[in-house]
Amino acid sequence: MPRTEPANLRVEQVRVTAHQRRPGAQHILEFLAPEIAARARPGQFVHIECGPECLLRRPMSILSAQGDKIEILFKQVGHGTGWLAARKVGDSLSLIGPIGNTFQPDTDRPLHLLLGGGVGLPPILFFAEWLHRHGAMPAWVIAGSEVPFPLATRTAHLPLPGMESPRMHSLVRLERSGVANRLASLAGLPGCFTGQVTEPAENLILALDPRDRNRLSLYACGPTPMLRATAALAARYKLPCQLSLEEYMACGIGGCAGCTVKIATATGPAMKRVCVDGPIFEAAEVFPPGPREEERPGSELD
Amino acid sequence: MLVNHGQFMVIQAGAPQPPIIQTKPQGVHQMELGADIGRQPYDITGIRRNFRMIENNIEHRRSAAEDPLRMDFLGLAFNSPLVLLSGCVGFGHEYPRIAGFSHTEVGAVCLKGTTLRARLGNPPHRVYETPMGMLNAIGLQNPGARAVVERILPGLDFSATRWIANIAGATVKEYAEVCRVFDDSPIDAIEINISCPNVKEGGMIFGNSPAMSARVVEACRAATRKPLITKLSPNQADIAANARRCIEAGSDGLAVINTLSGMAIDIEHRRPVIGHGQGGLSGPAIKPVALLKVHQVYAVARRHGIPIIGQGGVADWHDAVEFLLAGATAVGIGTALFRDPLVCRKINAGIRDYLSRHGLTRACELTGALNKEV
Repeated sequence: MPRTEPANLRVEQVRVTAHQRRPGAQHILEFLAPEIAARARPGQFVHIECGPECLLRRPMSILSAQGDKIEILFKQVGHGTGWLAARKVGDSLSLIGPIGNTFQPDTDRPLHLLLGGGVGLPPILFFAEWLHRHGAMPAWVIAGSEVPFPLATRTAHLPLPGMESPRMHSLVRLERSGVANRLASLAGLPGCFTGQVTEPAENLILALDPRDRNRLSLYACGPTPMLRATAALAARYKLPCQLSLEEYMACGIGGCAGCTVKIATATGPAMKRVCVDGPIFEAAEVFPPGPREEERPGSELD
Repeated sequence: MLVNHGQFMVIQAGAPQPPIIQTKPQGVHQMELGADIGRQPYDITGIRRNFRMIENNIEHRRSAAEDPLRMDFLGLAFNSPLVLLSGCVGFGHEYPRIAGFSHTEVGAVCLKGTTLRARLGNPPHRVYETPMGMLNAIGLQNPGARAVVERILPGLDFSATRWIANIAGATVKEYAEVCRVFDDSPIDAIEINISCPNVKEGGMIFGNSPAMSARVVEACRAATRKPLITKLSPNQADIAANARRCIEAGSDGLAVINTLSGMAIDIEHRRPVIGHGQGGLSGPAIKPVALLKVHQVYAVARRHGIPIIGQGGVADWHDAVEFLLAGATAVGIGTALFRDPLVCRKINAGIRDYLSRHGLTRACELTGALNKEV
């Protein structure tokens, strides 16, 4: 089960220590942020002030937290991320964090399959490396992207069940951490499985013997269609699954209830805040079995 | 440290932060609940407002010796003129998660809008950034008045600040019932939300009609002895006329303004961005509008000795001083918290500095102190 962290938020003025520009308007920013780095856990995010023209902060998942530094990965899409993309080494900016609950490895199911799509990759990578550091292996990752991957790729070396093709690529960073991984893309990127991340994920599930399949748990972050497909995959194979969600956000600390999503609970529907009740929820709570939300009669709230 | 000796709160020797001494009468039902005397409402009598004015003067003289920001607002001891606004700080448990944040830096906190029964609120998207503003349509998501009183109020720190309930309803009767629930609680005051733009029934529909506004206030007045503050809508033709009706109906204070109705469109999908279709605009974009509305309401309110919480786009101490000069006694902080959760400390410091530079000893001396009438 995802777990809510205790009160632990810091408003920290941080300095940019590295800025990697990647294809597809993707950026990796590294900050000297000792207060936040010391507390950050996989799945959490920081709320970033994005210059004088942006009234609201922007929530960004943490890609890594090591020593006194954290990294974020983002795609430039609007004026907030545009301001961020213009930051240079030495620039200062304000972060609030670390915010939100964390991915929680299922202790009864020590095989972890992690799916990350697009800008949903950061918490998945952070979680995979965290699992490795804590000896909670194996963790397998399927990463998806429609633009060139923001991290270096090369021919995969570490084996992954159901994916024996020698020409498949993987993320170097994860392989160095001992995390076997493969790539998927609908854009026909070289070395990638052509399709959604859930397709190689299903191949992997099918390649496991029944005993191992009962020891598998799923974790995912990415666009809504990918999360919906992941939830369906988990339901099909009766696997526990944690999803990291996103929603337009204002305060980022639970005060405004602006970022809520509809969650199915034992006592009926509830509107839960992505920022502090999430961002990680059980897949069955987000996409309960049955007709899709917009097709369900009487779904209008209040 | 506060020690309750019978009728009075006294300051223990060596206390690092002396609180304001309270001398207000104590309601019987609150004594039974074990509430401390520092947050009792006034006993409503025919001379209530005169009594309050006399006590305000006593209170202000005491406050001036301690901190120029300390003040009396409707008989409540405020640490500062700043008020955290309803809908921005949940039910008071969220912002203390931030290291360095303290409720003691504000005069009061308005809790999330509360209805009689629990409401899920509106579907996503509920918030959207606009140029120097934001739209929201939360839709009064709340657990219901009794749950707030029974489960949330006991967890609030009443020694840190004053707590104000914000109430809403789909009918006049519901407003009164919610008011009654809070009347039987330790809450310090009640804010009547007749200006929420994000619900289909009640809210702004009442607030844009002076006659309906007055009916709601009258019903609430009959349901509680606690200080009543009416939160007025800017989405109406004559806010000052509405203010007068609310005062005549028994409102002790006014909050000016709620959000302005607005809309944003996703042009790729040709649909409103906000799930509710429309929302309420807040943030610096609305400050000039809010400032004028405060000034217009002040022209009416000052004749009745009714204080105003001026609100709408306050981002820094400069904005706060503007609202005080326009006629506000207290200043609401909302959207600015989303950008800087520690902004209140900076605004307080800025107001103190301004007072010092202008040779003033109390923030309340600024209320309506424009040198030129509009």
